[in-house]
Amino acid sequence: MIKLEHVTKIYPGTTSPAVDDLSFTVPTGEICTIVGPSGCGKTTTMKMVNRLIEPTDGEIYVLNERGEMQNVLEMDPIILRRNIGYVIQQIGLFPHRTILQNMGTVPKLLEWDNTRIRSRAEELLDMMNMPHEFLDRYPHELSGGQRQRIGVARAMASDPPVMLMDEPFGAIDPINRNLLQNEFLRLQQEIKKTILFVTHDIDEAIKMGDKIAILNANGQLEQYDSPAKILSEPANEFIEDFVGADRTLKQLNLIRVEEVMDKKPFLLQSTQSVEEALQVMDEEGQDYAYVVDSDRRLQGYVSRKDLKEKSGWIDEYTTTAATSLPITMNLRDALSEMLMVDYSTICVVDNRDRVRGTVNTAMVQEALMETHSSGKREEV
Amino acid sequence: MPQKEENKTAFIGFWQGLLDDWMAVLTRPNIETYIRLKERATSPKIVLNLALLGLVIGLYVLTIQPPAFIQTDSLLLDLGRLIFYTEADFFILSLILFVIAGLLGGTGGFVEHSYLLSLITAPLGLVIVAFLFVANKLGLTLAAIMNPLSSIGITTIFIVLFGLYAFLLLLFALEAAHEMESHQVIYTIGAVLGSWGILRVIAMFAAGEDNIITQESAFLAEEWARGTLQQAILGHLWMVAFSVFIAVVIGVVMGVLITMPPKRPSVSHLFFLIPLGVFFLIWAAPKGWLGMGIADPIMEISDTLDIGLTRAAKGFFGPLLSLLSAIVRKPAAVGMIGVILTVILYALLLAGESASELTLYIAGIILTIPSIALFGVFIGPFSIGAFNAVVALTLYAQLPILRNTYTGIKEVKPEIVEAGRGMGMTEFQLLRNVKIPIATPVIMAGVRVSVVMLVGIAAIASYIGNDTLGDYIFHGIQRVQPLRYYAGAITVAVFALSMDYFLGWLQNRLTPEGLKGRR
Repeated sequence: MIKLEHVTKIYPGTTSPAVDDLSFTVPTGEICTIVGPSGCGKTTTMKMVNRLIEPTDGEIYVLNERGEMQNVLEMDPIILRRNIGYVIQQIGLFPHRTILQNMGTVPKLLEWDNTRIRSRAEELLDMMNMPHEFLDRYPHELSGGQRQRIGVARAMASDPPVMLMDEPFGAIDPINRNLLQNEFLRLQQEIKKTILFVTHDIDEAIKMGDKIAILNANGQLEQYDSPAKILSEPANEFIEDFVGADRTLKQLNLIRVEEVMDKKPFLLQSTQSVEEALQVMDEEGQDYAYVVDSDRRLQGYVSRKDLKEKSGWIDEYTTTAATSLPITMNLRDALSEMLMVDYSTICVVDNRDRVRGTVNTAMVQEALMETHSSGKREEV
Repeated sequence: MPQKEENKTAFIGFWQGLLDDWMAVLTRPNIETYIRLKERATSPKIVLNLALLGLVIGLYVLTIQPPAFIQTDSLLLDLGRLIFYTEADFFILSLILFVIAGLLGGTGGFVEHSYLLSLITAPLGLVIVAFLFVANKLGLTLAAIMNPLSSIGITTIFIVLFGLYAFLLLLFALEAAHEMESHQVIYTIGAVLGSWGILRVIAMFAAGEDNIITQESAFLAEEWARGTLQQAILGHLWMVAFSVFIAVVIGVVMGVLITMPPKRPSVSHLFFLIPLGVFFLIWAAPKGWLGMGIADPIMEISDTLDIGLTRAAKGFFGPLLSLLSAIVRKPAAVGMIGVILTVILYALLLAGESASELTLYIAGIILTIPSIALFGVFIGPFSIGAFNAVVALTLYAQLPILRNTYTGIKEVKPEIVEAGRGMGMTEFQLLRNVKIPIATPVIMAGVRVSVVMLVGIAAIASYIGNDTLGDYIFHGIQRVQPLRYYAGAITVAVFALSMDYFLGWLQNRLTPEGLKGRR
């Protein structure tokens, strides 16, 4: 848990505060993204937690490993920082040290022995899906994405309960950024750190955050809420503007196809005869139907027109489906897929290509209406 | 008939191609041109190029000044011989260059290589012959043309420029022919010239020639046999090494201090009173400021050390021990310098970065003082001898080390420092584990500059009574013995170069492995 109480920072020589009376609490094991226009004091806020910047006023508490709330302003900053993971945009790996030495920075400061540092480093590389031979390389021998992973791994080396991340994926190309974000979210499921995550990109804030804190240009907190709440119920005009006119669409990011799909779709078995199939389609009043095999694997679709006045088994008349959606896909991407093909209904498949349901645009719209009216979707 | 027509076109095409190649070299001398010409290399073209040159040389030689050894009855035979000599000379030289280039990693074939070289030799050779021909017709001798003091001496400049141009073309041609790096090309040409030089010198000694080189080496050998040369070298070496050592310690500390944020005075700073007190005591006691009771033991210690060191001052470490004894002999001066240094260091600790500009400025001013003047100024407080020299040399060596430490640390990327600080390194750990290792190459570059500079200035320290290589220079000038001052100049230069080489090696060794692959 990270708790800020009436935190204010006024830089010497200025009168207006960079951060103004900020109070919010990040629950244990959650990611809180801080977002706002440039110069809004989001990095300042973050740096006050590990006292790289001293607050002018207010209190900051951090929950330590022993489950005690500690007032950071009463701690030795050096000891405090060794217990808080710290990742910055430019990564800041030490160029003269190997990856092992880089990852061992904090453990070394905490006086771990070398075997323990090495095994911890190997563990971290496993977590990051990187091979162990990286340990003896130097930062300049790694690609940007690899360096960023090492930067995150280094911050986690001593397994601190709390981490601060300042635009950690900001300097990475969009494709790799998406990859790293997903990887990190997956990792967070296991490690459950309490994270303060600074970004200037509202999309990243929505994607990464369990909570979002939006600051305005004067360093005041405008809204602190879950992403769904912020999108569906922006507190004021500033938030509305900041989140953007497409905030309804952005909400689609937060919903997965699985949540809205028809879980008992109308399907035909590939072993059915044409007559039988026509009869069922008549009963259900369907012109098209998806065809699956005995394992519910998607074979394609048939139309009533194709089957008319034919005989035999329906798999002879099955057309391959142009697309299907993975079950974990978010609605925004799903909608985009739907608009690309002119099918009214698309199959949702799991990772073994088995049909789990179907989805159509009407369902997407319905889901949106629902979140909009109730704003109740807290969980992603 | 058509066969003949075809031959004729091919014939014209061949000459046209050759002419194009010549024009390309003369009008667009760059690597791209040579790389393009490389494709068009054939053996007949090479032979033809040289034959043309040989023909012109032959005509020139035979019409102007036929030497006895080629004169026969038949003009054609003479011409033939000269053409043959030209070709043979060219191919021998070309082969030598080719072999050396191959040893140094050249990849080109001999035909391409020779063709590109012939494209330099032939056109430039023709120009030279034409020039000589005109000069001869005007009744000018080579000596008159080359003499920069004669009225037509201005041509010397053109000749020098022409030589440089030829050299440049040679670089391009070798680089293109062998796809080598520029430094490999320089080494190739250097190897040829170097081996020629070495052979020439060996020949000089074998033949017992009496010239400046043989005389100088005889002089050096004589000095070496007497042991005076070694003594001067050792004196020089220790003078430089000792001063640089102190300068590195003080320079790095000061350089680091002026990168740090300013500090408020605190109780722990009372620590500075200890060295300050000790130095003050050493300074004040011999002056009698504190009464004779305290002076006696200090003087006694200094005398004992001095006698001990002077007695032991023999062999390799001899000059170093003499230096040390010269220092302990002056407790008052040591104390005074110690007090000043302690005060400066404490002031820099308090001022930190805000003092950086002023400090670098003052260090810069010190460097502009001519060394002889500085030695002269120090005669006042320290009289002449090793003490004076060490203080002055240390002061000189300071600036490059101080400035490079400052810039080296300042150039460490801020995000690296921030990452270190954010992970909980103390300022001292940041300095020791991050900033200084990353700044090491830059600091070492400063040390390198200091050492090379000091080798030169230490020679001048001979002026205030120190046994360094400068003795040879000053005595040589006084006694008008060129061999003596050449000896000094040569040994100082060799000394400076070898120190630079050694420190370059050391710099590479001290650079952290991870910083080498970059840049």
